[in-house]
Amino acid sequence: MAKNRRHFGIATVLIVICTFVVYWVLDSVLLKPAAAVLEAGPIDYLFDLHIWLIAFLFALVAVFMCYALIVFRSRGDEGDGEHIHGNGTLEIIWTVVPCFVVVYFAWISTTMLIDLSRPNPDEYVVNAEGRQWSWLFTYPESGAVTADLVLPVNTPIRMDLTSDDVLHNFWVPEFRVKQDSVPGMVTHVRFTPTVIGEYVLRCAELCGTNHSGMLATVRVVSEEDFQLWQSEQLAQAQE
Amino acid sequence: MSLFTLGIARGLLGQVLGMVIGMLLTCAVRILLGWEAWAAEPAWTVGAVCSIIGFLLGVGSLDDWLKWTRGIPTPLHHGPPVDKPAWTRYFSVDYNHKVIGVQYTVWGILLLMVGGTVAMIFRTELARSGLQFLGLDLYNSFIGMHGMIMIFAILLGVGGMANYLVPLMIGADDMAFPRLNALGFWFNVPGSILLLLSLFIGGWDAGWTAYPPLSARGPIGYQLFFLGVFAIGLSSIVGSLNLLVTLLRMRPEGMSLFRMPIFCWAVFATSLIQLTATQLIGTSFLMVSVQRAIGMGFFDPRGILGEVSPMVGGGDPVLFQHLFWFYSHPAVYIFVLPGLGIVSELLPVFSRKPLFGYKWIALSSMAIAIVGFLVWGHHMFVSGYNDILRIPFMYATLLVAIPTGVKFFSWLGTIWGGKVHFDTPMLFVLGAISVFLIGGLTGPILATVPTDFPLHDSYFVVGHFHATMFGGFVFPFFAALYYWFPKVTGRMYNETLGKIHFFIMTPAFWVQTLGQMGVGVMGMRRRIADYDPTLGAGQIENWQMAVTIAGFAIAFGVMLMLWNFFQSAEVGAAAGDNPWRSRSPEWQIPSPVPEHSFPAPLHVVGEPYDYGLADAGYVTTASTGDD
Ligand code: HEM
Ligand SMILES: [Cu+2]
Ligand SMILES: [Cu+2]
Repeated sequence: MAKNRRHFGIATVLIVICTFVVYWVLDSVLLKPAAAVLEAGPIDYLFDLHIWLIAFLFALVAVFMCYALIVFRSRGDEGDGEHIHGNGTLEIIWTVVPCFVVVYFAWISTTMLIDLSRPNPDEYVVNAEGRQWSWLFTYPESGAVTADLVLPVNTPIRMDLTSDDVLHNFWVPEFRVKQDSVPGMVTHVRFTPTVIGEYVLRCAELCGTNHSGMLATVRVVSEEDFQLWQSEQLAQAQE
Repeated sequence: MSLFTLGIARGLLGQVLGMVIGMLLTCAVRILLGWEAWAAEPAWTVGAVCSIIGFLLGVGSLDDWLKWTRGIPTPLHHGPPVDKPAWTRYFSVDYNHKVIGVQYTVWGILLLMVGGTVAMIFRTELARSGLQFLGLDLYNSFIGMHGMIMIFAILLGVGGMANYLVPLMIGADDMAFPRLNALGFWFNVPGSILLLLSLFIGGWDAGWTAYPPLSARGPIGYQLFFLGVFAIGLSSIVGSLNLLVTLLRMRPEGMSLFRMPIFCWAVFATSLIQLTATQLIGTSFLMVSVQRAIGMGFFDPRGILGEVSPMVGGGDPVLFQHLFWFYSHPAVYIFVLPGLGIVSELLPVFSRKPLFGYKWIALSSMAIAIVGFLVWGHHMFVSGYNDILRIPFMYATLLVAIPTGVKFFSWLGTIWGGKVHFDTPMLFVLGAISVFLIGGLTGPILATVPTDFPLHDSYFVVGHFHATMFGGFVFPFFAALYYWFPKVTGRMYNETLGKIHFFIMTPAFWVQTLGQMGVGVMGMRRRIADYDPTLGAGQIENWQMAVTIAGFAIAFGVMLMLWNFFQSAEVGAAAGDNPWRSRSPEWQIPSPVPEHSFPAPLHVVGEPYDYGLADAGYVTTASTGDD
């Protein structure tokens, strides 16, 4: 037992070190695109929390495994290990503790999800129709119809998605959120762009031959530019 | 000896004839109805159905039952076929579970190679951005093809291990229903041929998940794909039924459920899923099939009349996803539970220590199997289903992590304090743990909805499920191949080559899976023929190249293994009956296993994993007194 205690001591130190190393590796491989909406804040926070959990659990199992493999390797003899069939207390601990962890994660995700999908009375609505292999955007407020999406910055947006043919998916990696567009129904996705710039909308549901090329430009512009653009669109439509 | 003494040759001929007859039948019916005689889609569809029946009739898998209908008795023949060379039994209908196990395994490995080749082709394409040599449609067909062939291969591998090992592990002479067992295997052959054939009549471009409406409109290849899956599904159902009955009814005296070798528990849980969930994928594909063939618009929001009549329509594309995932999520546990059973089975042998928490491991398999039925909606978080469904499916999905964790911790408990030997099978078991760990740990981040938003249908998911499949099936399957190779052939494989295989494949796989996840987070969608080279601050191409190289390294490792087996089956040293000093029943009998595995009924006198306890027996064949 005393020996086990020493083993656990060493393993604990190694686990702490290993957790940071794994976190660092994951952090440098899993490069998130720049965040350009309000919603990216909580989502990226939860993402990061997950990465810490992954790093810790990976370290926990990997360190114990490698440590045991080294310390308890057979040294050429044909003998057997200790005759231990298990330990009920340990099994209960490692069943119950994870229960709390997952319920905690589920809980914060639930509240976050409710926040993310809460309708906003001021939201600006744009309709998007997916079709093989392009998008068509209509602006109910102005009646404008475009192939590229133009959005005002710092305004809560609701996209109403439909499809003309097969499933498509509305995804701008910088916006994080994503939603299928389904023929025969209207689905919604909400976000608030915060950074002026140009992004690419990438269809994220396999939709046939040119799925990989089903892209559209998304321009997030200032409020004034947006009004200007909208009146231009209207003028064009009237011609 | 003519070629047609081989059942498989007769089967293939039967399949071709069946196809032709089916097509002619369709033309005849159409002529009678006064329609144009030839229509490709119905002809191929009916032809494919008949081709499955044709194969089964040709190979002779239905012979005995057909004789029974005429009152002709058919005693079960044991041993190699009379007046034919012994090896021919592997190419014909044979009722011995050991032969059937080998048939499953070999056919599975063949499909693994075909599926792997397809993957290497499109992986080469992806090494650089831009389209190099594949067309868009072919690319789309290839990714679906790779996925489905691999699923077939995994199901066959699982079937191989279960059929070969379960009767041996419980000391049964054979499976409960030997004829059904053979039928279960032979369904797979016409099934996989149809799947491969589909590539040549247009392919199918909606991935292995085949979501309508896309799958309801593409090329005819879909029909062959659907029917191929249907055949494999039938195999799963009859195979799992047989395993359940065998496990419940044919255990020897003294072997209570909690005294079975742990792999049997894994097979039991797997079979429960297979027996009850497989119908759902069959149904969902069948519904798309009839929607295509005769316009029954289950999943078509507009109906065939489209704008003509607003009355027609109301079909629901999302319904398909519910049906599909009700099978296909539990299916992922069909793929991994047996593999995890192999890990639990081998760890005590190579650690020389009892399995830590036997009952917990056994029951965690059952828990996974049951909870696994309640989580299918995590594939549909952004499908447009009722928003409120996201929450229960999120909770249920996260709960699956708990029994999975129990397994990991119990494995650590098994190694701790043991005397660990690092033979090739053990190395693959350890590789399996490390890889499944990556796969399992990347599950929860997909299960919490807010983080699934950016990750869903990105390459991250590809990384996640390759890690689970490799850790839960491929690595344990290879461990099992190395471990039982001496039992099946009586000879030892080459240990050095085995170790080289391991040390190439494991790091390569880590790079592959990490790279896949990385490019996914950078913003690369899955299932795209071409990607944006500017993603990830321009780093994406480096990772793509790394993943491709890693893929080739894995393929090389697998070839090394196969070459090792081919060689060693001829020239390997005699292995002896029990090279691993295992306590399991199959190692207490000669290698290779004789026709009738056990000379006398087994008696179970102790616990399966009492390593480290002197003189503790598990099974004996010594007759104790009255029998
Ligand atoms: C037991 C081994 C596991 C296997 C074999 C497995 C397999 C898979 C597969 C094949 C997919 C992708 C399906 C597709 O979209 O085509 C997938 C997705 C997913 N897996 Fe796993 N998984 C496993 C473990 C887990 C665990 C432990 C969790 C969570 C606790 C999890 C959560 C998910 C989720 C949420 C998705 C959906 C991701 C998305 O499409 O956005 N998986 N898994
Ligand atoms: Cu698409
Ligand atoms: Cu799933």
